[in-house]
Amino acid sequence: MFRFVHSSDLHIGKRFGNLPEDLRGRLREARHQSIGCLAGLARANGASVVLLAGDTFDTETPAPAMLRQSLAAMGDDPAIRWIILPGNHDSRVADELWRTALQHVPANVRLALEPEPVDVAPGAVVLPAPCTTRRPGRDLSEWMDGAATDDGTLRIGLAHGAIRDFSEEGSGSDVLAPDRAARAGLDYLALGDWHGLTRIDARTWYSGTPEPDRFKHREPGRAIVVSIEGPGAEPTVTPAETGAFHWRMLDLRLFGDEDVNEALAQVLPTEMRRQTLLRVAAQGRTRLPAKAELNAAVEQAAPDFAHVIYEDDALATVCESGDLDRIDHAGALRQAAETLLAESDDPQRAEAERDIARGALARLFSYCEEAPS
Amino acid sequence: MKLRAVRLHNVRRFAGRGVAIEGMGDGVNVLSAANEHGKSTSFDALHALFFQPHSGTPKAVQSLRPYSGGSPLVEADIETEAGRFRLTKQFYAGKRAGVVDLASGRIMAQADEAERFIAELVHGGSGGPAGLLWVRQGITGIENRSPSEKEEERKAREGVLASVQGEVEALTGGRRMAQILDACAAELGELATATGRPRAGGPYAEALEERDRLASEEARLEADVRDLRNALDARRKARARLAELEDPAETAARQQARVQAEQALAQARAHGEKLHAAEARESLARHNAEAARAALDTFRRATQRVLDLQSQETAAIARRDDALARRLEAVTASDNALAAAEQAEVAEQEARGLLARLDRALRAREAAERLKQLRTRLAEAEAAHKQIEDGQAALRVAAVPADTVRELEGIETELAGLRAAEAARATTLRIDYEDGAKGQLTDGGAPLPGGTERPIHGTAQFDIEGIGTLTIRSTREGEAADGKLAKAVERRRSLLEQLGAESLRDVRERQAAASAKAIELETARRHLALLAPQGVAELRAEIARLQDLPVPEDQTEANPEAARQAHAAAGEKLAAARLAAREARPVRDKAEAAVIDAEKALSSIAAERAVAEAALGAEEGRADRAGELQRVCETAEAAFAEAKAAAETLRAGAPDIDTVEATLRRTASAVDATAKEAASLREQLADLNGSIRTRTDGAVEEIWRETAERRAAADTLVRRFEMEVAALTRLRRALEDARTAARDLYFEPVMNELRPLMGLLFDDVSVSFNDATLLPELLRRNGQDEPVDVLSGGMREQLAILTRLAFARLLARDGRPAPVILDDALVYSDDDRIEKMFDALHRQSRDQQIIVFSCRQRAFERLGGNRLQMTEWRPEQG
Repeated sequence: MFRFVHSSDLHIGKRFGNLPEDLRGRLREARHQSIGCLAGLARANGASVVLLAGDTFDTETPAPAMLRQSLAAMGDDPAIRWIILPGNHDSRVADELWRTALQHVPANVRLALEPEPVDVAPGAVVLPAPCTTRRPGRDLSEWMDGAATDDGTLRIGLAHGAIRDFSEEGSGSDVLAPDRAARAGLDYLALGDWHGLTRIDARTWYSGTPEPDRFKHREPGRAIVVSIEGPGAEPTVTPAETGAFHWRMLDLRLFGDEDVNEALAQVLPTEMRRQTLLRVAAQGRTRLPAKAELNAAVEQAAPDFAHVIYEDDALATVCESGDLDRIDHAGALRQAAETLLAESDDPQRAEAERDIARGALARLFSYCEEAPS
Repeated sequence: MKLRAVRLHNVRRFAGRGVAIEGMGDGVNVLSAANEHGKSTSFDALHALFFQPHSGTPKAVQSLRPYSGGSPLVEADIETEAGRFRLTKQFYAGKRAGVVDLASGRIMAQADEAERFIAELVHGGSGGPAGLLWVRQGITGIENRSPSEKEEERKAREGVLASVQGEVEALTGGRRMAQILDACAAELGELATATGRPRAGGPYAEALEERDRLASEEARLEADVRDLRNALDARRKARARLAELEDPAETAARQQARVQAEQALAQARAHGEKLHAAEARESLARHNAEAARAALDTFRRATQRVLDLQSQETAAIARRDDALARRLEAVTASDNALAAAEQAEVAEQEARGLLARLDRALRAREAAERLKQLRTRLAEAEAAHKQIEDGQAALRVAAVPADTVRELEGIETELAGLRAAEAARATTLRIDYEDGAKGQLTDGGAPLPGGTERPIHGTAQFDIEGIGTLTIRSTREGEAADGKLAKAVERRRSLLEQLGAESLRDVRERQAAASAKAIELETARRHLALLAPQGVAELRAEIARLQDLPVPEDQTEANPEAARQAHAAAGEKLAAARLAAREARPVRDKAEAAVIDAEKALSSIAAERAVAEAALGAEEGRADRAGELQRVCETAEAAFAEAKAAAETLRAGAPDIDTVEATLRRTASAVDATAKEAASLREQLADLNGSIRTRTDGAVEEIWRETAERRAAADTLVRRFEMEVAALTRLRRALEDARTAARDLYFEPVMNELRPLMGLLFDDVSVSFNDATLLPELLRRNGQDEPVDVLSGGMREQLAILTRLAFARLLARDGRPAPVILDDALVYSDDDRIEKMFDALHRQSRDQQIIVFSCRQRAFERLGGNRLQMTEWRPEQG
């Protein structure tokens, strides 16, 4: 039985410039730590090989120290073999990267820079399809069909790229054949590029990233432990959580009459808050005071988390006369509020103008709350 | 709307119990109770009933809840034009709102509908106050202020205008508005300047700067990354190229090609030298052969030429002799023609001379004839001239001026008239003789005829025959009186004398004679004009000219016509002779030219023949020389053919030296270029390595991506600030607009309402109002004017009440009567002033419900009005 760990898209060196300064360092460090995490996963499961299906490094020219440290981290446990495949971010074009890597690569790390069989274990051969450029424009896994291996050897494909138009980079020109495993008689095809864990068929999997870097995939960072009994046997695939940070996207759907504090409390995660990045997307309808309340509630909750992004663009504000009463029952303030309300609902006006009126009204409301009658 | 009753249960201190204030009437209602009896609680509960939604729990509602908890219940009975209703609200648990029609006991509305019903009651319209007017304990307005603020305000006395304005704003929401506007402006001010631009140093400007800085940083890094990628590409290419260049098999092949090319070139050069020598020999032989052939040809041509020239010379001599003969003939003919022409010319001159003489003689005769005629005419002309002069002299004598004649005729007519008048006036004597009378009356001897009247002037004496002398004396002075007649007679006499005539008749005769003379004179003039149209002097000049004409010396008697014909014939002859001479001339010229040509041709042929003869040499050796030349030529040509064949063979075998050289150059340059390119590539690689290392060591790509992400984040922030500024700006504008509208709408009407009320308040002092501001300006107290620019606390609270009363009047007038509720509103006022206020309230309360809560029981006893009591109350369903 052959057992290995399949992972991809470590994107080591990613900087997260759009996030707050103090968080960036932690996120970068977490990406580096995922190497140790994968090694630990392999050890725990008795796997001797880790396959990295591309995008191990975020750029073609990583900082030399970071590159060296990554390779050194892989070299920590000589019992584990690492196979590194160039992906689209760190394609073969990045010759500086790979040249430096070759100079410093530890004995237990193999850079799969050429499409040629790599013996990874007795009776197990990896057929890598390294990305030649950022966009090779052809199916690089095609060569696997004709790659000869000894009888009774496990054939494990290793490739990076989209099999459909769901590439992380959004281009669909150079897709991999989804049935490559069948065509090339592979026992398993380890794919990278898509950051979420995805099963294509019994023998073809995207491992997803071990450490998420965006809100797109609503799942934690994971890697796959694959066990294959022997040639032709269906592999056993076991996903395992590896991520240090959770990127959670919360949909807060409001109907206008609920207690927004409660509604928010219900969706907010209670555990690992320090390790959690949140994107709270409020949608539906709410009353003017509730909107302000929700804002305050999110602000109140935010410091618990690594980072919170609150979006209420999709949250329509419903304004009733009772809400305006909280501004004033009558008088000039009420007058101003009504003017703004009318303006924000006026279909004759440009959307931007209505948004401004809406914002102004919300602001007036919060001022009035602060200066009660 | 009017309030009739208020009930509350489970509110603040009334935990688990209730209290009711009922029986509120129109006009002034007073609830006077000590503090802590629940007046303010009732007031607040009433406020909550009208203004707090039953479902919410804001601070105002929270404050109603007893410490022990529970659900506050508030109830009010009201009366409007539509009827009497009971409004009920319960907060917290069991929260509800309801409206019951008291007449029928029917539930009119519940929950939100009830809220709407209540809102309708208190709704304030455009910026106006609510349908309930409140004044709360000790302060003006119902805003929530901190105790220290109240203290401050008590100290700071405000002007009337400021106070009233403040009250108007308090009622139209203006006080809070000011706070909110301030907050809004402060927040906006941090972000943007007054003109909406980002404020320097503010967070917005900082975000913009950061964004711009990041954007430029990103652009710079992007360029760096591009450079890096280009460098990497270039290095990859350079490396591949270098590997190609340094391929050992290729290098060896290039070297070998060059060696081979060099060898080929050496061989080609040796062959070339041999060929060169052979070609030199060939060239010499060709030269020799050609020279020999030329000498032979020249000799043969010269021989032939001498023969030709000899025959040509013979022909030329014949042609020259012929020309000489023709020239002689032509010269003779030409000379003859010239002589004939000269002869004809002489004859023609003679004929012309004769003709001229004949002509002159004819003209002389004609001139003599004319002279004779002219002389005759001159004589006649001179006679005519004499006649004219005489006529003119006679006419001068005979002429009578026409006006003198007319004057004479006038005088004559006048005289006749005068005489007739005289005769009519004068004394007359008439005698009529009897037939057969013998005597006779005579005047100076002349018998006086009978039957006629004889005028008598002065004294007249008549002799009567036989009788004596009759004297008749007339005393009348007829004519002498005016003397006209005498004057006319005298004038006539003088004129006649002037003319030298006896009478008018005489004058007329002379006039006729002068006329005849004038006709005669004119005739003579015309005759003279005919004879000498240009005058006599001209005629004389003509005669003189003709006289001076020379008279021809000889008089030829030849016939002029014959002479003219002879002259014409001579002319024709001359022309013919000249033509002949002219024709002869070219023939002669041509003949002379032909002679010259013939001589020239002959001499040139002779000269050429001499040269040719000289080239051939002596006549006798000519055949030998020809044979010798022939032999030499044949030998040289044979030698040349041999040399040519030798060279030809070498040429055919010669390699193309250019091609061989080009091959060498190519192979050599291939080797050199490869070496050079390899060296250059190595240099380039060194440079690229350096450039790439500096960038990869700095992880430029990672930094670029990071910067791009940071820039995107900065963009978002900037957009948020933009939105913030836009929203705040919009809010500020909306608030300012609303405030201005409310002020404009209410301030003046309220002032108008306020004025009479103020008069009431200040009735112990006289107040003068400013017409423009409608505000009290001067206060006359104890005979002294004080300006009303500051107000005491008491006056301010009075003003607050009055303002509400003024508003109430406005609302009432608007058809929306609103109760005025005062909760210990007069705490700073002294009793005296309070009474005045009471008066004002009563005066107002005629058409206005006023509800007064007060703890000043004694002072308020004097207020009168409807006394209210608080009674225990328990809601129907507890």
